[in-house]
Amino acid sequence: MLNCINEPDGPEIIVCCGSGGVGKTTISAAIGLHGALSGKKTIVLTIDPAKRLADSLGLKRFDSDAQRVPVENLVAGDDSPIPDAGLYAMMLDAKHTFDQLISRYAPSELQKKIFKNRYYQHLSNNMAGSHEYMAMEKLYEIFNQNQYDLIVLDTPPSRRALDFLEAPQRMLNILGHNFFMRMFKPYLKAGRWGVRFLNIFASPVLKGVSKVLGKQALDDFAGFMQLWDDMMFEGFSRRATAVKELLAGNKTLFLAVSTPQRLPMDEAIFLSEKLLINEMPFGGFIINRVNFSDPNLETQGVNSDKVFAGTRIDPELRQKLISVHNNILKMAENDARSVKRLMDKTGSEKNVLQIPFADSEIVGLDDLYRLSRFF
Amino acid sequence: MSAKNTAKNTAKTTDEHLISGEKKASVAGSSVLEEPAAAWLDRLLSRRLVFVMGKGGVGKTTISIALASAAERMNKKVLLAEIGDTDSIGRLYGDKALTEVPRRLTQLIWGARVDPKAELEAYVRSHVTPGFIAGKIVRSRLFEYLFDATPGLKEVMSLGRLWRWEKEENSLARATYDLIIVDAPATGHAMSLLRLPDLLINMIRVGPVSNQIRGLQRLLKNRQKTSLVLVSLPEELPVNEAIEFYSMAENTLDMPVAATFINCVYPVVFSRINLQQIESIESSDPAFPLSALSRLIASARILTRRQSDQQKHIKEIYAKSTGHVQEIPFCFTNDLTINQIRELSSFN
Repeated sequence: MLNCINEPDGPEIIVCCGSGGVGKTTISAAIGLHGALSGKKTIVLTIDPAKRLADSLGLKRFDSDAQRVPVENLVAGDDSPIPDAGLYAMMLDAKHTFDQLISRYAPSELQKKIFKNRYYQHLSNNMAGSHEYMAMEKLYEIFNQNQYDLIVLDTPPSRRALDFLEAPQRMLNILGHNFFMRMFKPYLKAGRWGVRFLNIFASPVLKGVSKVLGKQALDDFAGFMQLWDDMMFEGFSRRATAVKELLAGNKTLFLAVSTPQRLPMDEAIFLSEKLLINEMPFGGFIINRVNFSDPNLETQGVNSDKVFAGTRIDPELRQKLISVHNNILKMAENDARSVKRLMDKTGSEKNVLQIPFADSEIVGLDDLYRLSRFF
Repeated sequence: MSAKNTAKNTAKTTDEHLISGEKKASVAGSSVLEEPAAAWLDRLLSRRLVFVMGKGGVGKTTISIALASAAERMNKKVLLAEIGDTDSIGRLYGDKALTEVPRRLTQLIWGARVDPKAELEAYVRSHVTPGFIAGKIVRSRLFEYLFDATPGLKEVMSLGRLWRWEKEENSLARATYDLIIVDAPATGHAMSLLRLPDLLINMIRVGPVSNQIRGLQRLLKNRQKTSLVLVSLPEELPVNEAIEFYSMAENTLDMPVAATFINCVYPVVFSRINLQQIESIESSDPAFPLSALSRLIASARILTRRQSDQQKHIKEIYAKSTGHVQEIPFCFTNDLTINQIRELSSFN
């Protein structure tokens, strides 16, 4: 399914979407490694890797520079190092990226004011969509630096996979529409920065709103909107449009990552449908942690007498062994059913890649390498 | 002094509930009902508000429903409130999406979705006069934008809804619901939800909103009335997040986690002696690894390996948790049914 990565005119951006907890970060890292080993200089943009995975990728917390992953430490079966085109990893941090943008674009006398504004603090840190928006910002920045052949983006852990696609637009709608400024501007009293405040009594609607929210809250908000409008908005909205075009273009591939559990599966299906409707390039499903039953295993009930004939295993242990075996088989059956449901719903078997449940937790480069062999 | 009194009162209420629970048990004659609930569960379900927190996909809805079922068995009237935009609860109770109007799901369990936007509209209409101005506000695009952009607005509206449900009374002036269980959004959002009253109190000092926020803050910080429970999985990331959450809950929110549920724990099947026996079979069976028996043993190995991976993480939870820790056995299914969740709700 991911053979296209190896090709010279393959995708330049791979976006891994999916619900939280399905192993998106691990899958993204493995795809990145696969890219680097196929001769593409690759960077993985990740959100919140588990500590040991972060360690193997050479990532440190609160450090948002690109780090080179020591792929040379990876040793193939025959003890020879595997050649790679360079694998890099970068941790995304919404607050940090936001602050960086303000430092870059806003005049220094305004920076402090912006950083202190409560709305800015909220926006950069908590607001639904800020992480997604910043991931997009970073993606666009790195794409335009033109230093990498492949960018793999691990998306933020949204409750709904689709938030990732919709949040940036939602946020721009909030920050960017002229309507909003038209609404506020007549009521902003002229003055230097910081002394502007809303003349709410000039508008019955604003008066009503302030009754509900409190006047101070409105003032803060208007203050931030003003700063934003004068300083930042132009650049932001231009980039947002460009990012959108980039993502919908033929250089990008979206993958839906899931586990066989019901909720993430439903999310993945929903996501793929949404992508198709919006004519976004969908590459397929990666189903992680699938329990497979060994083809040699009996799938029907075990004949106890036959199996234990000639052994001295006590009845209690016999019972336990059989029930555990049946449970293990049951997990494999459940997962097979779940994957079949996906294939039936999407009408395709070709774009579903199943990754078996790993025997041990995936923490090191070697583990990632084993995982990347499935692509 | 006053804290002591509150504690006493709560103890009394708990006793009353217990008595009525026993009465019901003797009538119904079910074996499940006759078992006295564990003290931790009893205490937890005697609160007014229980927030079920945790990372996405760990099973918050499962635990919320299980707690509601346990409370129902104690003869409590429960409201299951879902915040966020998934329909997990409705789906489990026969595919009916919940709305902001509580709907009866079982004998004693009601379900509702917290819809912050509907709340805000109702709020504007009740606080802004004359009515046509309120209508104008609600319909204006400015309102839409403010609703999305104002920090904490959604959260405060959601909390306001919970608060009013908590205060709701029936015609006999008794609380409509004995217990409100909140299936909270994923941790980050839930944190901003619970932090909100503290933040807002500094921003909005006067007016009707400010009074409400104070009331809300009192309800949330009252440990006899409100409890946080955390759901986690025995895996690295959820456990790390759980550990971070314990200190945030205690230090930032001043609402320590009362109970942790570790979901999907593989059962311990084999004793140490069993494992030794299995080992000796492996070394003595001449047909190994081709015999049918070897396949059973392979399965046993898979289970014990996964189990020992989980145990490392579970140990960490026990070491760092505040409050009770409850392990929830893995059910070997991808899609729990409501009956399976009810079975889990005995919490033994």
